[in-house]
Amino acid sequence: MIEIQGLTRRFGDITAVDDVSFSVHDGHMTGFVGGNGAGKTTTMRMAMGLLGIDAGRVLWNGRPITDADRRRTGYMPEERGLYPKQKIVDQLTYLGELSGMSASTARAAIMEHLERFGLADRADDRVEKLSLGNQQRVQIIAALMTQPDALILDEPFSGLDPTAVDSMADLLREHTARGIPVLFSSHQLDLVERLCDHLVVLAKGRVVADGTVDQLRNRGPERYRLVLGSDAGWVRDVPGIHAVDVDGARAVIELTGELPGADQALLRAAMSRGEVKEFARIIAPLSEIYREVTA
Amino acid sequence: MSTQTNQTRDHTFSRSATPPPAPTAPSAPRAAWAIVAKREILAKLFDKSFLIGTVLTVVIIAGFMVVQAFMQDRTQTYNLVASGSDVSYAKTLGELVTKVDDKVVVDVRSAATADAARAEVLDGSADAWLHKDGDDWTLTAATEVPDGLNAAASTVVRQSMITSNAEKAGTTVAAIEQGATLKSGILKGDADKQGFAKVMGFVLAFLFYMASIAFGMQLAGSVVEEKASRIVEIIATKIPVRQLLIGKILGNLLMAVAQMVLYTGIGLIGLSFTQYKSYLPSVGAGVGWFLAFFLVGFLVIACAWAVAGALASRTEDLQQTAMPLTMLMMAMWFSVFLAKGVVLTVLSFVPPFSAILMPIRILEGTAAWWEPVVALLLLIVLAGFIVRGAERLYRRSLLQTQGKLSLKQAWSAPE
Repeated sequence: MIEIQGLTRRFGDITAVDDVSFSVHDGHMTGFVGGNGAGKTTTMRMAMGLLGIDAGRVLWNGRPITDADRRRTGYMPEERGLYPKQKIVDQLTYLGELSGMSASTARAAIMEHLERFGLADRADDRVEKLSLGNQQRVQIIAALMTQPDALILDEPFSGLDPTAVDSMADLLREHTARGIPVLFSSHQLDLVERLCDHLVVLAKGRVVADGTVDQLRNRGPERYRLVLGSDAGWVRDVPGIHAVDVDGARAVIELTGELPGADQALLRAAMSRGEVKEFARIIAPLSEIYREVTA
Repeated sequence: MSTQTNQTRDHTFSRSATPPPAPTAPSAPRAAWAIVAKREILAKLFDKSFLIGTVLTVVIIAGFMVVQAFMQDRTQTYNLVASGSDVSYAKTLGELVTKVDDKVVVDVRSAATADAARAEVLDGSADAWLHKDGDDWTLTAATEVPDGLNAAASTVVRQSMITSNAEKAGTTVAAIEQGATLKSGILKGDADKQGFAKVMGFVLAFLFYMASIAFGMQLAGSVVEEKASRIVEIIATKIPVRQLLIGKILGNLLMAVAQMVLYTGIGLIGLSFTQYKSYLPSVGAGVGWFLAFFLVGFLVIACAWAVAGALASRTEDLQQTAMPLTMLMMAMWFSVFLAKGVVLTVLSFVPPFSAILMPIRILEGTAAWWEPVVALLLLIVLAGFIVRGAERLYRRSLLQTQGKLSLKQAWSAPE
């Protein structure tokens, strides 16, 4: 498990990351979400030891993270870069050797991954000859081929076509299935919603939401939509209920939480007054929650 | 997506279902710098422009030596025409000329008249026409009197005329010339050798300069390339940045020294086929010292280039961050021409100038045995400081990606 505790980083007068804390659990895929400049990359670079920490610490299984732990962590930086003039297989072997693999072990792992991405026949091509999407695949191989103990990936899905997104997602799931913690940042909320067990939302350098997708959805008061056969104005006077919006026979209400069972009481009252066409819990899409928390 | 993906996935799942394999969790590579150095060397060996440059330089050095060896054995034969009573003097001159310069041979042709002789020069069957013009012997050619012939013939004419004039005056040439020549000599080394040493010194200094610029620019370029592409971030999570720097410097140092050994080796082998082969022992020792100075000097320069690369964030910044270094390189190169006397002696101890100037003094034979030792020690001391400083600057600036840094910013940058 990776724990980020109170990480803070200032650049001059600007506090890019401000007292950020969250955990990446073993076997969990944690999505790291936030707008441009929210501090995601800065946090990840601090976690990887690439940037000095002004305050706070990073823990690995409960103790301060060491260089050896980081060496066993697969990392993918945001900007994609490899040596353009070097052959793919040579370049990945080099990175594998730097991670402590023998050249032959590295080569076997590389070929297995290249085959998987359908790039085996291009192993001897220079990196510059690959499309951007394929270069990204090569870079993710660099992060995964050592069978790392954790993964920290900065925007691994950006620039991939939908098929590539699926195969990348499958690949990441295999690694969480091995029981390792995976943290990745993304702008694509639908993807995060689909893939992640856990979500951390960052805005202006601070954590504004942290939890499972369901927890995030349930973070505000419960909301219901009520559609009646006649005017719904009376819901304003029902105890334990706050009418957010009443428009003719339609109403959107929130439970204030003061009175248990207020939703059922409301439904009974509505039915006693006549026809009830709809009574439904409103589940906001993640994008709406995201806008709400980052506003 | 196809069955293939599913198969692979099944395969992987079945693997993770079985007891976990022996941990492949990699440990720190024992000598990460060696892996980096190996990559640097292989990258050079497969770099076409590096290979072409090396082969071309070898060809130029070898070609120069071949031309030298060929020229020294070649004798030049000139056709000299004379007419009437001048022919007998021309023949005497022809014999004497070869005694003055053994590379000049003169064939004398006789023409019936002065006009016929002139015609032979004009149609190219003779190189020059020897004739008396008043009291003076004159050499006339079609467009230009050949230098070799002119020089040798002048000496002969001068000597023979002085001899006959002396006889007429009832004395001897020796009596006339007594005390009239100014002899020149030098106390250190000998003149011929020193001229040769000067040329040799320029050539070595030029090779030093070229290697520093070519390897240095590429090294700085590769540092900034790694930085701009962020591959350095991947590397920095795997090995300490210090190891990356050491590997890059050593890889380039090894290649630069190997290239220099190749160039100077071919130069020395070539030298043994020329008239200068008697200088070989002393030149060989000078070249040996040169290589020692190059080894340490290049280490200093390579460290500085690596820092120039690390200070930049993009390749475009490099020209600016490398500016002080290019100025220093230029200053070192110009010192080879401009430094004389005391200035040369002093600068030959001042690192990094010593790396280029002391070998020149050794070749010229003006350095006492202890002087290169002291200069080399001073250079090694500087190298120690530079390597440490460069390591700090490189480490602190390598992961800074907000534009280019000044030396001061990099020195005090937080890690």
